[in-house]
Amino acid sequence: MNRFIECNGVGKIFPSKNEPVEALRGIDFVGEEGEFVCLLGRSGCGKSTLLMMMAGLETVTSGQIAVAGHEIKGPSSDTAIVFQDHGLFPWMTVQKNVEFNMKARGVAAKERRATASQFLEMTGLTGFGDRYPHELSGGMRQRVGIARALTTRPKALLMDEPFGALDAQTRGKLQDELLDIWEKQKTTVLFVTHSIDEALLLADRILVFSPRPGRIAADIKVDLPRPRTSQSGDFSALARELRGLVGADREID
Amino acid sequence: MQFKRALGLLPLALLLIAWDIAVELKVYPEILLPRPMKVLMVFVEDWQTVLDNAGASIMRVVTGITLSFLIAVPLGLMIGRYKLLDLMTDWSIQIFRSIPPIALIPLAILFFGIGDKPAIVLIFLAGLWPLLINTIFGVRGIERTLIKVARAARASEGLIMRDIVLPAALPSIFTGLRLAVGSGWLTVVTSELIAVKSGLGYMILNAQLSFRSELIFAGIFVIGAIGLAADQLVRRVRAYVCRWQEGLTASPE
Ligand SMILES: Nc1ncnc2c1ncn2[C@@H]1O[C@H](COP(=O)(O)OP(=O)(O)OP(=O)(O)O)[C@@H](O)[C@H]1O
Ligand SMILES: [Mg+2]
Repeated sequence: MNRFIECNGVGKIFPSKNEPVEALRGIDFVGEEGEFVCLLGRSGCGKSTLLMMMAGLETVTSGQIAVAGHEIKGPSSDTAIVFQDHGLFPWMTVQKNVEFNMKARGVAAKERRATASQFLEMTGLTGFGDRYPHELSGGMRQRVGIARALTTRPKALLMDEPFGALDAQTRGKLQDELLDIWEKQKTTVLFVTHSIDEALLLADRILVFSPRPGRIAADIKVDLPRPRTSQSGDFSALARELRGLVGADREID
Repeated sequence: MQFKRALGLLPLALLLIAWDIAVELKVYPEILLPRPMKVLMVFVEDWQTVLDNAGASIMRVVTGITLSFLIAVPLGLMIGRYKLLDLMTDWSIQIFRSIPPIALIPLAILFFGIGDKPAIVLIFLAGLWPLLINTIFGVRGIERTLIKVARAARASEGLIMRDIVLPAALPSIFTGLRLAVGSGWLTVVTSELIAVKSGLGYMILNAQLSFRSELIFAGIFVIGAIGLAADQLVRRVRAYVCRWQEGLTASPE
């Protein structure tokens, strides 16, 4: 087993004027290389916070996080992140948006263009390079965000509810495409979601979070054969189990 | 569209008609209130005077506002981005910007004498504050996700400034430029009434001394027309530079 992503006793406290907010406490977790891990939990249980810390965009208050053997102390070239609200630059064309992460690395313009076209093709965006983000549908914007994250061939792809704002059909389509890409690129994926079905369709493994402070309440292996549908074997049994785990917290507060 | 815009001249047309009627009714003697036709003749007979003086005024505004742009925009980008700089400058900016440039005319004459210099300095000051404040405001309005995307990509501070902070602030910078040009134009005319011996302000003052009321009217008309043209020009440039914004912002119905 390859200890690819490691969280050791990770905790996060946000200082605040009235009372500090303890967003996460004692997160221990080891992810394998190439694994597709979903972080599942209700609003406010610290999923985004954990992802931001893995991306090096937030500091940890206690414990450590390491990716590919390096402790995370700031943004790292081993990771790339996709945000829920896509985070596209409205003044850049699709092409320029996709090139941005490479530009930040100092990749030469010619190579940037070639790599960008390659990933635009992979995400089904060929021909849209000259458009501005506001001229695209929500699903297409999300694809641009994913294409941009992939261009630097990150070892770990961090996704914060990337399909949360999409309709069911578009969402299903993008989920399939993401799985395709994941199989081709063999990157490790950490994927935050609210949706039990989405987690079951995508993940090798689901971390269920419970709130106040955020902790990992359960770590569930999903062994369903791929490609999956909601009709696959144990899907509904697992869904019921997860509903219990996520819902049980509701009675606490 | 452009044709419909000309509807905005309707109140002016009504004023012209009222003016003509007033002359017919001899409300004021003709030496004070000339016929519109006589004012029009100024542009045939005295066009050289009008042109030279308009040119002198325009040159001053262009020079002064260019200077304020070159200083206010970089400074505003820095102040908007770095909290410490903001703390160190905020109150001073608020104090300086509430001093009308016209109030500084006596000082400007003391320091720079009579001529181009005091006028340009006053226009520079008139344009500096709106540009500075709107630039800072534009930087503050940047979506936080976009900065996170850039940080996660490990973009250098220079790249963040050039590719993210500046374009994000541009619409607001142009709002500042419109205000600056407007305020610079007011200032040039006012300072020419007092501190300079050429330009449209000086022309109308001189016309008053020689009892040529038609030249006063013509001068006022030119001042208004150039003000409108300058504003339209800035709007055009803005529409072009910020064309990525089309369809993003609400327009009045
Ligand atoms: N910058 C911050 N300052 C203070 N508190 C914060 C900050 N960011 C998050 N929190 C708090 O930390 C807790 C966890 O927030 P987080 O955004 O990680 O939750 P989440 O699981 O991603 O929720 P959601 O599913 O709604 O996105 C919340 O109580 C939130 O109020
Ligand atoms: Mg979240």
